[in-house]
Amino acid sequence: MDIDRLIKKDEVHRDVYVSEEVFGLEMDRIFGSAWIYVGHDSQIPNPGDYWTTRIGLQSVVMTRGKRDEINIFYNRCPHKGARIAEEGCGHTNGLFRCPYHAWTFNLDGKLRGVPYLDGYQDTSFDLTDPRFSLRKVARVAAYRGFVFASLAEDGAEFEDFLAGVKSSLDNFCDRAPEGTVSVAGGVFRVVQRSNWKIFFENLNDTGHPIATHESSYRAARQYSEEVLDGELPFELHIIDGNGAPPKFWSDLDLHAFDYGHSYMTAIFNAPDDPLSQQYFASLAAKVGEDRAEDILAVNRHNTIIYPSCSPHTSFQQWRVIRPLSVDRTLVEIFTFRLDGAPDELLQRTFTYSNVVNSPSSIVMTDDVHVYAECQKGLSTQGGDWVSQHRNAGQDQPYSGSEGGLIGVGTSELPIRNQFRAWHEYMSEGSGQSVSPEAS
Amino acid sequence: MTSVNPQPINSASDISYEMVCHFLYREARLLDQRKFTEWDNLFAEQGMYWIPLIEDQPDPINHLSLAYEDSMMRQVRINRLNHDRAWSQKPRSRTSHMVSAIVIEKICDETNRLVVGSAFQMAEWRSFGLRTFAGLYTHTLVVSDGHLKIGEKRVDLIDSGEAFEPIEVFI
Repeated sequence: MDIDRLIKKDEVHRDVYVSEEVFGLEMDRIFGSAWIYVGHDSQIPNPGDYWTTRIGLQSVVMTRGKRDEINIFYNRCPHKGARIAEEGCGHTNGLFRCPYHAWTFNLDGKLRGVPYLDGYQDTSFDLTDPRFSLRKVARVAAYRGFVFASLAEDGAEFEDFLAGVKSSLDNFCDRAPEGTVSVAGGVFRVVQRSNWKIFFENLNDTGHPIATHESSYRAARQYSEEVLDGELPFELHIIDGNGAPPKFWSDLDLHAFDYGHSYMTAIFNAPDDPLSQQYFASLAAKVGEDRAEDILAVNRHNTIIYPSCSPHTSFQQWRVIRPLSVDRTLVEIFTFRLDGAPDELLQRTFTYSNVVNSPSSIVMTDDVHVYAECQKGLSTQGGDWVSQHRNAGQDQPYSGSEGGLIGVGTSELPIRNQFRAWHEYMSEGSGQSVSPEAS
Repeated sequence: MTSVNPQPINSASDISYEMVCHFLYREARLLDQRKFTEWDNLFAEQGMYWIPLIEDQPDPINHLSLAYEDSMMRQVRINRLNHDRAWSQKPRSRTSHMVSAIVIEKICDETNRLVVGSAFQMAEWRSFGLRTFAGLYTHTLVVSDGHLKIGEKRVDLIDSGEAFEPIEVFI
């Protein structure tokens, strides 16, 4: 397939969203090589704990081994092919046992035992041959508890891949008095009838809220005016933010980095209430007031770690994007406890997530709807090209230590940046995509 | 509204099984008729609408929930459902509730509360087709000013941990 024909400087061909062939190549060249988020080490605190999820279309199991190491292997018994672990979190007492013929495996995936071993004499079967063990994914790496894997032996080093958005992961954890975070409260799972890239594009798209979310911010304002004399409690404040005027959005900063990553500065701040003060005190008690202020001064909305996840540092949530097919995407939403912070802060994270990210969110539903409308419209012959022109060529190199590019809040910089990485991966490159777009 | 209980209700023990059944049927019917504000008026002032995320979820505070809505959040949801630019409600959801196996599980005269269990199915038609929700309701009903009100409506979906397409109307 000629990938180059699908990408222009500020437009992409609709086939990137609707072609089954492109999707198949993406699973191979992007999800088969990039660093993909698998899970957080707090999901598997003890040896024998496991977390079963997907990398692209591959079912994988992340386990904690006897020496506390993290292993990730394909969820496929080398005997007949059955999956050896069910989806979600679980625990096994020291070995995995296939439910079909009871082959057993150590926590690192190594074959331990096979029933009727006598019957394998004089065959090519070999208990110690790795091809009869669970197959490990090629590379595993973690940063501050966030575990990523790459299915390719070669490719960018994890630290290089992460460089641009490492500061978001640091801030995510530095906000915890103990400096660590833990998954807490369950996981929301939302299915979208649209291509996975549409969701990624929306994460840092500030052009859509005022139009897409009109029904929810009007609904919140209506209640506020009719019942509360214009006051906006926390839940309504979050919803109301989407109706901010154009200048509010253009005054935000968008930062874009190699490998398709980006982040935008915060849309709203945590309320200055007794809980926030109590939390600040718990953080300052550990790291000192100056440091605590510096940590909380880093206030970001969605960070994008392309092509698999999006942390929200200031409300401790983490979205994972798992493509299901060319027109189906699963988004999983995890929430995190800031270790050492008051329990009420975690409760506020749940409140935030209930409002914004639950499958029953009155905000997200209109997003999911317009994504599906895009998918339907892009499947027509009404036009081959999709615009990414907004502020193209106007973004500038960022002088701060993180580097990368910076654009006004309403720029489509993050979208163009994602497609630079996409193009690089799809051309069987590393995804690094260095070409600066600044003029 | 016509009522099956013309006599004011003084305490939980005044409430008959038939009154409970009628209350639950009428609640479901108001939802199916999109009379959301009338439905919301069935709740006591502090009444909560709760869809837990996991089976046997002990509380809505220390865990995510599919929904946990007080009067404010229910009314905002209703405002949105009635808004012209609720894009995902074009065409709007149509629902049909079936409520069955109604059992009065507890009556407490001291607090004037009843706990009522039932099974339900809700079919919903959306632009993407017909889908079904199924599960168990647990209504905590309270007697307040001579009326039966909802103190809490707990909706335990049998597939609460599943991946969902957006849920917009009340279940």
